[in-house]
Amino acid sequence: MSCKTDFDNDTQDVVVTSGDANFSKYIALGNSLTSGYRDGALYSSGQNESYPSMLAAQMKLAGGGEFTQPMMPNDVGGFVGIPGFGGRYNLQLVDKKDYTGAVVSKSLSPVQAGAAATLDMIGGAGKYFNNMGVPGAKSFHLITPGYGSADNLSVGAANPYFVRFATSAGTTVLTDALAQTPTFFSLWIGANDVLSYSTNGGTNSTTVGNVTTYTTAKDQTGNTNPATYRSNDISDPAVVAGAIKAVLDGLKSKGATKGVIANLPYVTSIPYFTTVPYNPVPLAAASATQLNARFGQLNDLLASVGQAKRFTTLTSSSNNPVLIIDTSLLDISASLPATLKMYGQARHATAEDLILLPASGIIGIDPSTGLPPSPTSQMINGVTIPLADQLTLTKTEAAKVKTATDAYNLQIANLATAYGLAFVNANAKMTELNSTSGIQWDGVKYTSKFVTGGTFSLDGVHPLGRGYAIIANEFLKAINSKYRSTLPMVNPNSYTGVKFP
Amino acid sequence: MTMALTAGVMAYAGGFRVSLQGVKQLAMAHTSAHAEDASVAFFNPAGISFIPSKLSVVAGGFGVSNQITFQNTSTLQQTETDNPLGTPIYAAVAYKVLDKLSVGFSFSTPFGSTIEWPTGWEGAEMVERLELKSYFFQPMLSVKLAPWASFGASYIYAKGKVDWTKRVTQLGGSLNLLDDEATGHGFGFGFYFQPDSQWDVSVAYRSPVDMKAENGKATFNVSQALFPNIGLAATGGVDTFKATLPLVDEITLGATYKVTPKWLLSADFNYHGWERYNKLTLDFANAPVGNQVSDPTVLVAPKNFKNAKTFRLGSQYMINDMIAARAGWYYDESPYSDENFIPETPSFDNYVVTAGVGLKFNKLGVDLSGAYAMPQSRKVSNAYNSFYGQAKATVFYFGLGLSYNAF
Repeated sequence: MSCKTDFDNDTQDVVVTSGDANFSKYIALGNSLTSGYRDGALYSSGQNESYPSMLAAQMKLAGGGEFTQPMMPNDVGGFVGIPGFGGRYNLQLVDKKDYTGAVVSKSLSPVQAGAAATLDMIGGAGKYFNNMGVPGAKSFHLITPGYGSADNLSVGAANPYFVRFATSAGTTVLTDALAQTPTFFSLWIGANDVLSYSTNGGTNSTTVGNVTTYTTAKDQTGNTNPATYRSNDISDPAVVAGAIKAVLDGLKSKGATKGVIANLPYVTSIPYFTTVPYNPVPLAAASATQLNARFGQLNDLLASVGQAKRFTTLTSSSNNPVLIIDTSLLDISASLPATLKMYGQARHATAEDLILLPASGIIGIDPSTGLPPSPTSQMINGVTIPLADQLTLTKTEAAKVKTATDAYNLQIANLATAYGLAFVNANAKMTELNSTSGIQWDGVKYTSKFVTGGTFSLDGVHPLGRGYAIIANEFLKAINSKYRSTLPMVNPNSYTGVKFP
Repeated sequence: MTMALTAGVMAYAGGFRVSLQGVKQLAMAHTSAHAEDASVAFFNPAGISFIPSKLSVVAGGFGVSNQITFQNTSTLQQTETDNPLGTPIYAAVAYKVLDKLSVGFSFSTPFGSTIEWPTGWEGAEMVERLELKSYFFQPMLSVKLAPWASFGASYIYAKGKVDWTKRVTQLGGSLNLLDDEATGHGFGFGFYFQPDSQWDVSVAYRSPVDMKAENGKATFNVSQALFPNIGLAATGGVDTFKATLPLVDEITLGATYKVTPKWLLSADFNYHGWERYNKLTLDFANAPVGNQVSDPTVLVAPKNFKNAKTFRLGSQYMINDMIAARAGWYYDESPYSDENFIPETPSFDNYVVTAGVGLKFNKLGVDLSGAYAMPQSRKVSNAYNSFYGQAKATVFYFGLGLSYNAF
């Protein structure tokens, strides 16, 4: 009779080791993903579930030191008085109205809170933080002096998230990182070099007074001077690679040769781009016939000016394509009668176009009332009125994004090899998460589906605590495999998910 | 919204069968070929023909203490259950109507368990607390075919209760499944032989009993704002469900040999039909929380139990006319592989040593027994739930039984 009632290897007796790495001073560099940003804001409970803070907690079991983060002063986020920096989104029961304005039901929707406080200055000389993730930062911002200067805020050359914890107005993120003499670092940067283009549908915007105008953003591939980029342009892959290399060289100069670097996910694995289908328009037979007459007329006009058809035949069904603006099309508005001028660069969307998350609250609304269309309404967003350029990432724009992402990732992989770093294939993990089967942990299934998938926060771009934990585990695996450390994994289920009202 | 509801029930031994239906028997490894009193009724209805008195009444109860520990080897996290003391009980009466015809009745709790993991533990999506109870009511009849052989049969009416709480992580709440009106039917039969004064041989079969919950109550403790999303706006988050839990069949072969008039040896072999529990289906009335494409309110969770065996060896020595000393050993197989380990019914290959004493005061017998189990620690690699790690358990039993052979 053989008796082995106890564990071979009791986990309570396991000694966690750092292997070839030294975790005593871990510095995290990156953007919003590194800061713990989620639900459209950086707020304190989100920061407490940043993936670097999760890594640091595991590192503490193997000689890791204290890990400080530039904590926001509240759990709402945002900066009063700085446009574009509101508070977090919360799920709320929102009235659903019919065209008369009568409330017919309530539905769960993300609602953004106002900013909770003015910009708090927690940095200054000698004030350092281990988590140096700056929401919104692009690759080259890490080495751009003045990115933390309050004076530069008004001209858009600084970032309030760095302004609040920079050691001086003239410093750079990298300089402040090096001053801490890291023994180990993580670097996940470059997403915003293509993401801001994507989330803005390939447009830049200028707001004067209350009027915002949108212009087509550029793919700056070939232009190596980021000072000439507008905020939503796609960065040149050489600029991204150069910035990352400069960061790695800087770290190396301080003896920080051990760290982990991650590549970038495709936008097509992020719910902001995948939640709204290209064909969400329900039509009755009469409406379809009426619209087909109009779009048939437009197709004929297109043919007369030598252009291919842009409009499909709509049917009496629930899945007609949405009408969009595609700025890559020849503008034929000059050849159109006054009532059809708005269709100069319009076409019906196809499965290759990505309709952005904010469009979900706009499609099917009569802009004259802000309500669903009345039976006689002729003005319906996405049906008779094309969706604005900034609400869609068209096939051509999406292709540019994919090309840039692939180019960045190739450079990141090469740099990881050249500098002998642990490498996280975040792109592959996010693709796996975006599959139907997703990722499962202790019976809980995670996918990239908006809200219901349990991974992504209400902004549709940034993960929840549970999603960040899935990412943290990829970092931990990469570190353990490269440096022969034995850092334990974290349990994603134990972090926070979507909060229901 | 989908969730991976999974299912089951527990295990002091194999599956959720609790082999504690006779205190005297437990002292001898819970072997079956003992016809001294009415406690044989559960083991083999044919055995009541050989009780050496016209009327015999028995009753007894056990305490079951057990603790399961799960360790996740990737997070190094360890979790222990806080299970309450289990208290299986039994009672039986047997009466010889005629020389050749005996009738009997057995009440027992042969299946059940209560497992309690900490709230929000890592496997909470599968189970936080599961209480499973069953009550078997078995009237029976036994006929002597010859002075040395009998045949007996019983009808089984079973009542049961399931009370299962699990987390619904993605909805930020929990789900309770409750049914205390599940019922089932079955039967048992067996042959009992006493070919000479030295041998007792028992052969018995007990059929499966499918416990049917027809009108279970499913309570979703989640935000009210979600009720419309799970089809429960009108009922305030409460739904009904149907489910069937199989209490599986068992074949028992047992023999007792009197080496000397004072010393006997017993051996048993049990074969449990756990294959019947290959999946658990929960059919909700409204909530689309299932996993079936054809019907989103139906959730099917694979269980993949396999048939399992138990080997038992026991012995009794009469120290004098009043005192019997007993001991035993048995080995009980877990009914599933490491790949099918589920925390709601943790199960282990189990070695158990047993001991006890029997005291006789004329017609009254008092039995005491205890058992110490050595469940084998095991790997957990359940891919269906992505539940990985190792599990171990500590278990012991004690029992007090009374018998009264009236006349």
